[in-house]
Formats: sequence, structure tokens, C-alpha cells
Amino acid sequence: MAAAKLSPLSAVFVGAAGGLLLLSLAFPWWGMDFIAPQYPEGLEIIVYPNRLEGDIDIINGLNHYIGMKPFSEESFPELGYLSYIVIAMAIAAFIIAFTRSKRGLYVFIAAFLIGGALGLYDIHRWLADFGTNLNDNAPIDIDPFVPPIFGENRIANFTTFSYFATGAYLVGAAFVCLLVPLWKERKT
Amino acid sequence: MKKKVISALSGLAVGVLASTVFFGNFSTPDTVSTASAKTDAEKVYVPFGEKDEYYLFASGGHSGQMFIYGVPSMRRIRTVPVFSPDPATGYGWDTHSKKMLGGYTWGDLHHPAFSETNGEYDGKYMFATDVANSRAAVMDLKTFTVKDMIEVPNTSGPHCAAFVTENTEYLFLPTRFSVPLGHQYASLDEYSEKYRGVMSAVTFDEKAQKLHIAYQVALPPWSYDLSDAGKKISKDWAVLTTYNTEEATTNLEINASQEDRDFIVLFNWKELENMVKAGKYDNVGGQKMIFPEKHKGGIYLVPVAKSPHGVDVTPDGKYFIASGKLAPLLTVFSFEKAFQAIEKKEFAGERNGIPILKYESVMEREVNPENALGPLHTQFDDKGMAYTTMFISSEIVKWNPETGEVLDRVPVQYSPGHAVAAEGDTVSPDGKYLVSLNKLAKDSYLSVGPSHPESMQLIDISGDKMKVIQSSPVDPEPHYGQMIKADKIKTVEVYPKENNNPDAVYNQKDARIVRKGNEVHVYGIAMRSKFIFDANAKRPDVIEVNEGDKVVIHLTNLDFDEDITHGFAINQYNLNMEIQPGQTNMIEFTANKPGTYPLYCTNFCSALHQEMTGYLLVKPKQ
Repeated sequence: MAAAKLSPLSAVFVGAAGGLLLLSLAFPWWGMDFIAPQYPEGLEIIVYPNRLEGDIDIINGLNHYIGMKPFSEESFPELGYLSYIVIAMAIAAFIIAFTRSKRGLYVFIAAFLIGGALGLYDIHRWLADFGTNLNDNAPIDIDPFVPPIFGENRIANFTTFSYFATGAYLVGAAFVCLLVPLWKERKT
Repeated sequence: MKKKVISALSGLAVGVLASTVFFGNFSTPDTVSTASAKTDAEKVYVPFGEKDEYYLFASGGHSGQMFIYGVPSMRRIRTVPVFSPDPATGYGWDTHSKKMLGGYTWGDLHHPAFSETNGEYDGKYMFATDVANSRAAVMDLKTFTVKDMIEVPNTSGPHCAAFVTENTEYLFLPTRFSVPLGHQYASLDEYSEKYRGVMSAVTFDEKAQKLHIAYQVALPPWSYDLSDAGKKISKDWAVLTTYNTEEATTNLEINASQEDRDFIVLFNWKELENMVKAGKYDNVGGQKMIFPEKHKGGIYLVPVAKSPHGVDVTPDGKYFIASGKLAPLLTVFSFEKAFQAIEKKEFAGERNGIPILKYESVMEREVNPENALGPLHTQFDDKGMAYTTMFISSEIVKWNPETGEVLDRVPVQYSPGHAVAAEGDTVSPDGKYLVSLNKLAKDSYLSVGPSHPESMQLIDISGDKMKVIQSSPVDPEPHYGQMIKADKIKTVEVYPKENNNPDAVYNQKDARIVRKGNEVHVYGIAMRSKFIFDANAKRPDVIEVNEGDKVVIHLTNLDFDEDITHGFAINQYNLNMEIQPGQTNMIEFTANKPGTYPLYCTNFCSALHQEMTGYLLVKPKQ
């Protein structure tokens, strides 16, 4: 059992998963759009695995009215190491593809699932942190809120849209690539 | 049964087809109007979300400002202060603009001119001149703000400016008034000997955004009215109109209208440039001054019907058109004929040391629209047709400079001075639109008492016939304008960060107040909705100084966001400035009044704009 090897085609899928993981680093993973009557063109936060882009200063400037603390790349230590985790996972995928280790693949899929769940929880944790720890002295009093990880929300004059971006979909595709060998090599 | 159904259905189909052929309406539905069928209202209506097709820069005359309009809507978009202070933008109060204005509190902005590349507007800069205080200014069209201004010596009232050469090599400033060199005192009895109509050649250093005087020309003591640079074959040349070649010194209305002819000054600026390089000039108060009677060459006179106003070069650069403003005649002059006459030295003597060409040898044709009176200024369309304003007969005349044929005439209300066509003085005018800049509005608009606005009328010139399609009041007083395709102008919405600007503060925690002896330097920020002058102070929005201190306030607008402009004013200190998004601006004053002075943001910025306040506390001397 332990000696069982993945078929060559399965190994290619696992290798492809590693490639997709690397590719995902070049794209944003998550984002949020803010639309208001005065901002019909919208403001945006774009999250890459290693940095933030978008109208961060403007959004911080507006958020201070509701007492939200300002955020920046420094606020999120994950941005400092997330890309290394992804690279390590890609290397692991390449090693599994090369050694064609079935057991390795099972462990990897498990790690992937745990990592993904932790990632989603992490985003939620930050959203809850920023949305609920509002300064009481703020000019505008609003109830604490937790913006959704995905979908629409309304805060004051802003409607926000949270969404997963290209990088996240590439990670999802990588996961599908890992499941293909599982399906192909299931015991019949 | 089946057969019957089929035949019944096919019969029905034939019937429908036949009725469609006979009664169907195949003409274009009336609701879809073609461009030519548009009503006047449709032609000028620009709905929200869409933008005008052209920018119109209308000179603001003795308001000292430039008015920016959109065409075809004829909506006034902005007033840009140039030669006069403007409280709305703090122009004249912040350090840079105050220094530029040089203590003058008004100006008379006449003939604006865009920077050009290959004879086309390049949309980068706008030049303007001040007839009142002999200044020239340059506006950066990225921000629509004035970057530099110079006061030109030895001359007074560059009405004849500004025109730029084909690649913005020079901006020429010929003058309306002659004065003695250096503005010295000299009796008017010595007018012909001691007075001069000095023309200045100004260059623009784009990198440093600075204007410089390259050289000056001591033209005869006449009045120089309008001008144009040559194009294409005539690109090294320029033409100016003159009046008062009688050299009258009083009651010019009569005394400067005695001779039947005045002159057009025709000059080759390349030749003048070479003369300066060769040292053929005198030094007058630090300026390189060419005296035409002494430093010969490059300047000629062409006789023209008396007291001309405009002189305009056709888009192909072959002709220049000028007319006496009291005469009915339009004269088309040929550059090529003038060049030949100059080459053959066919001169009819000299005037003030300048050779005179013969009218007959330069004149191409005379055009005399019936009963038209007072031709002032000509613009062109995409087909090379000319549009001349008739001040006295209050109309625009469209005519063909190649044949002299008069094609159309349209009355305007009332008395047009200049007209401006879409890119109408470039090598490739666009046609489409012409705006008549009328000197009188009289009964055109709701009355505001005896002092009326002026009027601008938009004329559709896309067809064979001109059609006035909109009328728009305008403050005194557009003398000339420039109309540029909107997409040529590339503005910035937010000032980029200048990380090597020591006065800028990009992190609100760095806001600080530094005292050096009796000078107090504030490095502060403005953001929605607060000022921070000293991030570490108990009250960050308070500036406390001693009576007599010199106070220098640098403020950076930390809202890098479109249209979030802040103002900064100090009550009773007569101070106000504007800080545009991302900009670092500066204001200086001496705190010579002890007491307590509120300060506040003057430009409505946010829901809590009213709270964007602070205090200047000036401690009295002990």
C-alpha cells in the first residue's frame, strides 16, 4: 500500500497543481469594491498574497468617520509569509509528482484542506476585527458589523461587494487537479 | 384535412406579404434623427455622463482671468485666474501665486494661445498676456494652473500678443503702446525720436516651467494690434498689424486715422534669431535689443488699408488676410509674392529704416462683401474657408480665400470682435463649430441693470450655411479664444507625491511646528475633516505664535482623492489658500496682530467640513 505509485498522468495533474499554485502568486486572491453615490466609479481593496493594492488611503480616510482603525500592509503579518507557504506547497506538489507517492498526495490534500479552511477563517477574523472594534469616539455611531467574505453588504452610504479573485480561482483549480488522481485511482 | 390547413396557411402568408408590400412603411422611422435633422437644442445638449467635444478658452479681458467653457453645450466649466487674484482658489494669497502676481491686483488678458507642435495644438500649455501690466503667463493644462509669469521691460501693453510659432519656439509680444525705452520720462513732443513699440520674443523652458525673454525688437513708435505666426511655407515668418503710423500723440481716434494706409509688419524670426546670435543688437537694460534701422534685415512693411485689427494666416500658410477695420475690403496677401519681392528687392522706399514692399506686389486679391463693414478677425474651417467677423455690420461672413467668393453671411447679436473656430488658427482646423465673441449683448438676456454681460454665440459651421445654435452670456470680456478638441488635454486629478519635497508631509504623524528664532514653520496636513499642524500637541489643530513672528505654513492635502480640495483661511488676517488633492501649498505672513483668530477649511470637503477648524493664537508682546 505504502509503495503504491501514482500513474504518470496523475503525476502530471499533481505537478500542474504545483504550477497553478505558483501562478496564483501573480494574481490577486481576494478583493472588496465600495460603491457610493459620490463614488459611482467605486473604490477598491485588492489583496495579493504579499501585498495590498487599491484605494487604501482613501478608504482609511473615510473609515475613520465610523471609527474603524486604519489598515495597511503592515496590519496583516500574513502578507509577509503567505507567498512562502504557497511556494512551499508548490514545491511539495512537485516532489509528490516526481516521486509519484500516493501517501504523499493524501497528506498533501489534507494539508491543503486545512490550509484553505484556515485561510478563510483568517479573512473572516480580520473582517470581524476591523468591523467590530470601532472607536467609540467616532463621529458616526454605527453598530459593529462583519463584512461577508463573499457577497454584498451595506455600510452607511457604501455598498460593498467582496469577491474571490483570479489567484483564489487558480488555487481552487490546483485543488481540483489534486482530486483528479484521487478519482482516477480509486479502488474499483 | 391536412391539405386544407396548408393551403389556408399559405393563403394567409401571401396575403400578409402582399399587404406588407403595399402598405408597409419602409422609410426610416421619424424617431431616429440624422445629424443634419437634429434640432438646435439637440445639437447643444450634453446629457449628464457625457462630456463636451471641445474646450473653449475665452480670454477674460480686464477680469484678468481665463474662462473655460465646454462646446457645444456652452456651459462655463471653470474660471482660471491668471493676472488677477481670485479668492475662490486663493490665487494671489499663497506664496507662489502672490509672488507671481508681483503686487498687481488686476490684469487685462487679451489673446490666449496654445502651445503648438508642428502647427497643431498639443494641449500642453496655454499662454496669455496682460495688456495692463505688460506681463506674460503660462498655464499648465495638466492642472489648469499658472506656473510662471514675467513682467516684460521696455514695453507697455502687449495687446498684439500672444502668438506662438509652429513648434512653440517663441511667444511674441508686440505692444499696443509705445513708450521710451526703460519707461523713462520723455516729452510727447519727442515721441517720434524717443518712443518705441518694443516687441519681445519670449521662450518657454518646459522642463523648468519658466518663461524667458530671448530678445527684443525696437519697432517704430506705432501701435501694434494683432498678429499671427506663419505656417508651413511661411513658418519662419510672422505678421503684425499696425495703426497710428501717423505717430499721433493725442486724440488718436482722429489723428491716427488720417493716412489711407497703415502697415503690416512682416518679419522672419529665424533671421532675427541669427542676428542675435551674430551679436547684431544693442544691450538695453540687460535686454538684447534689435534696432531695425541699425541692424538691418528680416523686417519688412506691407501697406494695408488704414487701422487694421486682425491679420490671420490661412491654414496652408500661403496667405495672410488683413483689412482696415473701418473699410469694407478684405485683402488677401500672398507670402510667396512677398518673398519674391523681398528677393528682388522691389521696395517702395523705407519707413523708419524698414523697407516697404509695394501693396500691388504682395496683394493676391481684394474681397468686398456687399455692405459688410468693420472686418476685424478671421478664422478658418477644415476646407480652408474663411470666417470674418464684421464689427460694424454685426455679422459673420463666410468666404473662400482662394477665389474671393462670398459663401454665406449670418447676423450675430451684437458687434463681434473676434471669433474662434474649432482649432481654427492651426494648420488643420476642424470645422464644426465657430463661436462669435460679441462685444455687446444688449437685450439678449435677462437684464441685470445698465452693465451688461458680453455674449458668445455658437455657430454650427458643419454645413454650407452657418447656423447660430446657442447664445451664452459671458463676463467681461472675451477678446479672443482658443478651441481645442477635448481629448488633447490630459489633466491629472490628484497631485502625485513628491517624495523629495522637504515641505510635504505625507504621514499625519509627521505634522510638526518648527521654530527658528522669530520664524515659525508649520509643516501640516489637511484631510477630511481636520487640520493637523503638530501631531504631538495637545491640540494638533492650533498654531500658537508670538506677535511679530514670521509664520510660514506648509500644508499637504492628504486626500489623494478626486475633487477633495481643501481650503485654509485665517479670519481677519486676510488669508486664504487652496490645497488641491495631494498638493503641498504654502502661505506666509507676519503675525502682527495679537489676539485669537479662528482658522477653517474654506472649500467644502466633507460632511464634517464645518468642523474642520482650528485657531491661530498670537501672544501679545510683553
